[in-house]
Amino acid sequence: MTAIPETVGRSSGRLDGEAKITGRFEYGVDAARPGMLWARLARSTQPHARIVSIDTSAALAVPGVYAVLTGADTEGFVGSRYVRDEPILATGTVRYAGEPIAAVAADTEEAAEEACRAIVVEYESLPVVESVDDALAEDAPIIHPEWESYWVSPIINRPGGNVVSHATLRRGDVDAVFATADRVFEDTYEVPLVHQASLEGRVAIAEVDDDGKVHVWSSHQYPWGLRQDISDILHIPLDDVRVTVTGVGGGFGGKLYAGVEPYCIVLALATGRPVKLRLTREEELTATSPRMGATVHLRTAVASDGTFLAREGRLDYDSGAYAESSPGVVSVGLMTLPGPYRWQALAVDARAIYTNKAGCGSYRGPGAPQAVFAGESQVDRIAREMGIDPLQLRLHNAVRDGDQGPTGQVLEGVSLVETLHAAADKIGWDSAGAGEGRGRGLSCTWWTTTGLPSSADLRLGEDGSLVLVTGATEIGTGAVMAGVAQICAGELGVDPGDLTIESADTETTPYDFGAQGSRTMVAAGNAAIAAASDLKDQMFDLAAAKLGCSPDDLELADGEVRDRDDPDAVLTLADVARLAGTGNGLVGSGTYEQPGTPFDTDSVVGAMIGAFNIPSFATHACEVSVDLATGEVSLDRYVIAQDVGKVVNPRYCEGQLTGGAVQGIGQAMFEEIVYRDGHVQNPNFTDYKLPTMADLPPIEAVMVEVPSASGPYGAKGVGEQGVIGPPPAIANAVRDATGRAIRRLPITAERVWAALRGEES
Amino acid sequence: MTAFSLLVNGVEHTMEAPAGAFLLDVLRDSLGLAGTKEACAEGECGSCTVLVDGEPVDSCILFAGQVEGRKITTVEGLGGDGLHPVQEAFNALGAVQCGFCTPGFVVAAAALLDRVGSPTPDQVREELAGNLCRCTGYDNIVAAVVSAGAASEASVASAASVASGVRGGGS
Repeated sequence: MTAIPETVGRSSGRLDGEAKITGRFEYGVDAARPGMLWARLARSTQPHARIVSIDTSAALAVPGVYAVLTGADTEGFVGSRYVRDEPILATGTVRYAGEPIAAVAADTEEAAEEACRAIVVEYESLPVVESVDDALAEDAPIIHPEWESYWVSPIINRPGGNVVSHATLRRGDVDAVFATADRVFEDTYEVPLVHQASLEGRVAIAEVDDDGKVHVWSSHQYPWGLRQDISDILHIPLDDVRVTVTGVGGGFGGKLYAGVEPYCIVLALATGRPVKLRLTREEELTATSPRMGATVHLRTAVASDGTFLAREGRLDYDSGAYAESSPGVVSVGLMTLPGPYRWQALAVDARAIYTNKAGCGSYRGPGAPQAVFAGESQVDRIAREMGIDPLQLRLHNAVRDGDQGPTGQVLEGVSLVETLHAAADKIGWDSAGAGEGRGRGLSCTWWTTTGLPSSADLRLGEDGSLVLVTGATEIGTGAVMAGVAQICAGELGVDPGDLTIESADTETTPYDFGAQGSRTMVAAGNAAIAAASDLKDQMFDLAAAKLGCSPDDLELADGEVRDRDDPDAVLTLADVARLAGTGNGLVGSGTYEQPGTPFDTDSVVGAMIGAFNIPSFATHACEVSVDLATGEVSLDRYVIAQDVGKVVNPRYCEGQLTGGAVQGIGQAMFEEIVYRDGHVQNPNFTDYKLPTMADLPPIEAVMVEVPSASGPYGAKGVGEQGVIGPPPAIANAVRDATGRAIRRLPITAERVWAALRGEES
Repeated sequence: MTAFSLLVNGVEHTMEAPAGAFLLDVLRDSLGLAGTKEACAEGECGSCTVLVDGEPVDSCILFAGQVEGRKITTVEGLGGDGLHPVQEAFNALGAVQCGFCTPGFVVAAAALLDRVGSPTPDQVREELAGNLCRCTGYDNIVAAVVSAGAASEASVASAASVASGVRGGGS
């Protein structure tokens, strides 16, 4: 590990801060191209139906309309990255209410909308599969009767029928261990769909040039993934697609895959004009890749002293009508259902199952909240029924350095015990048992820092300017515009404000695996360190030749290269850049790729994720009061203690913990995409309730620092983990307050009221 | 189309727009003031907040024709030629992540500070609950508004003490 520069550990401002507070920052919704048309999509009004006919003649007659495309025009353009099951426009069958049936381009958004309304579709209704239980019933309608003909990513284990994918984990002899157990606990938990609800929805522009090259501007988290998706879906050569990321008004995993972009491209090809498509809030909440719901069956075997022995679980995730990212997400259930505890044996089955809902996708900590709500709620039940303090039970079973994770990876930098103590101290756990209607709850989580490559170029201009060119995308976290900037500036001995960052364009910036998996600051930060090191080597060689010293005598500080032993031997950055004689300064380059974490590959089948890289741990603790007459829950205190390895920017690091926790609190207490008969009942922010500042206490965040071996200065991934812990922490506090377990989210007053009356939630 | 005029950030604009045009769309599309954002289009999230005669309104559900002749302030005009203290506080205290809610928040917060001077954290949570943020968890936003209020109160107090000839009064 290199020395920690002065810029690291400070709450510096973010490089995009001023543009954002003044309204000058350009988001995807603000972008435009000359001659641009507007697109709208006509969507299915039926959750499951055969399309008998589509009549677009009235739509084509709407003034200002340039093109109306249906599935007949887009035959063979099929999406979903791991199972190609999702035609961009429905062909023959619609499988959820809101599925795109036609795409319209017009000179105004209003004309495009009017044309969509003028499209006449005749349907023949099919039976609606409303839940995973419906989908698994023996006589269930098969949502994709042609499933066997679909291309599938090789790693996926696909039983067929309504089961998209089935991942398994087997470690040890579960049956034998269960036979030795003193106590066995068995529960079923249910988690509904929730939405990322980034305030900026999905939006893109596509333009096709005379040579057929496609340029897409998109509010996106992963431009190279999007480029590959576009190439795969529309059969356009990869190099003919360029993706430029616009400003991103929130992502949370919802902007990792192709979404609106293919429609913009096919309409741009059809009209010869740039085409922009932005989705409404209703479209967002009904038709854009929410977090899967899940039904979780869980059994745990425990010894009389509270030692966890074995856990057996079945996670039936609701993938909706299409696979999208569900085959990858379910494998996270294998990693997170066991929780960060020691086990003798594990058996977990995680399936993604088709239903007639919107195809589900990725959302911050994908796959984990469903599993951890079950796992940590049951840990709490075990504690209470065995008369063991929930904190002590967790400490007793917590993984430590050198233990194995659920798939056999050897755990390093383990910090669970530290976070348990930090959270317990903060909330004052020893004085728990607050009395009638008041309660406290805990939950523990662990999470990964996703690997895969990130590269950076660092340009030193002849005027001494420094530009970091990175493929990493800033989606709001500050990972790039604060964290990476501080790391890079620190390595160069300048202020972050002296740096300019150009990012996230597949043609003009080097590769990055995207803003996903809590990886950006670790991967792009390490790439920036490598680029800075390369640039410094070049600078020192040039400066040493000029100053007549050895490169080893030189240091870089305060914007100067100087000889440590000779105060007069000083060159400015501009001096050094001109020494290169290129006319264009110098470029340093660096790449970083986290090596994969070894695990027992025989322990899993069909798992796209088999280990957690640079794992991090967290404990949540909260205090609630419950109105025993109405069931209303007031969240009085909330503590999150998370291991971040090394704090690079305290303010934005803490912002990830608090922001994550509040999203998780939303899932715990307020949020649910409510389906009835296959239709979303609450596709707006009036009825889909995000937490407001009035709903929340201040979030008390504790940043625990147990360094990793490979993150910048010991940093670990931070972004996602905070969202996972709140549902069980709050459920456990409500149970402490009322004696009643809530096994279905969200924990609403109605549900608590029913539980208080002895009704199953 | 109807002809009408709007007074936005101190500048009078005459334009034609459909009678049913919303103020938000006129600001963004006709006047090029794209700082004001739309996130729900139904007055539920506060991203489109602008001031009309100093009062925060949801511009996504207000017809432009309803505010003819009234003084409209958007994020672009909030600080005059510089930055409003609440904008500076948002940037300094980590209240900005993706920033999409920020224009609406700073505009609503500026109106709150105008009205109550130096709000408590609880007052901020109550008064700005109509603005949604999906990134920050709100704490840094509350802190920024409280801080901007306290700073402006301190500077008012300081100015008042200087004006009244009291020196070294501890402010």
